Amino acid sequence: MARRASRVNTEEEEIELNMTPMLDVVFILLIFFIVTSVFVKEPGVDVTRPDAVTTDRERPSILIAVTAADEVWINRRVYDINGVRGAVEQLIEENPRAEAMIQGDAAASSGLVFEVQEILGDMGVPVNISTRNN
Amino acid sequence: MTPMLDIVFILLIFFIVTATFLQEEGLNMQPPPQSPETPPDPAPVILVDVNDQGRVFVNQQQTDPERVLAAVSRFRAENPRSAVLIAPQYQADHGIVVLIWDDMQANGIPVSVQPAERVQQ
Repeated sequence: MARRASRVNTEEEEIELNMTPMLDVVFILLIFFIVTSVFVKEPGVDVTRPDAVTTDRERPSILIAVTAADEVWINRRVYDINGVRGAVEQLIEENPRAEAMIQGDAAASSGLVFEVQEILGDMGVPVNISTRNN
Repeated sequence: MTPMLDIVFILLIFFIVTATFLQEEGLNMQPPPQSPETPPDPAPVILVDVNDQGRVFVNQQQTDPERVLAAVSRFRAENPRSAVLIAPQYQADHGIVVLIWDDMQANGIPVSVQPAERVQQ
């Protein structure tokens, strides 16, 4: 009886989960998410985007807003049309494969939206016009 | 090893939560393709002007923004190969340009956009 009890005791002591393979898996997942994580640069202002039907799904990481008052917002700051290139260059340095999207307000000047689009196109950044799907 | 595993888990959860695969709806509005020499047989152009007051003219005829498609279809009935060129003035509303672009695209009409000041008459 006494011998049996002691055997049970030693078995309980020996039960310890081997965590190493699990840690390996968790590390691989962690590295995957670190590598794939793209931090989207939000413009920091809300605009009323025009409705459209013929849209494509895009995964932009730079969002540029053009408001109804013709202000250009990039990464929570207002820029002059001449400052857009510098601001985008900075963001491209952080993420060279970034794609951009222009969120133009329905009441924004189409000329200004076109200028911003052209600057980005010149820099070789893929750019699309953001819309709302209805 | 358990405290390290805790930290790694917290990091993992942080990156999973922040990995919002942002999906946006977008259009690819393009100016007409630039080529050094004009093609021998260029497609006829239907010019859609949008002026600073948001008035829309299809080949110089004033049209309601919603009814550009009807006007364009009339011109295309005569010449099915013709393409649409939207020429907005600087102050024209972005929304109107997108509306016209989308209408054309949805009906399979070739369309491009170019600021009015750069369109040679």
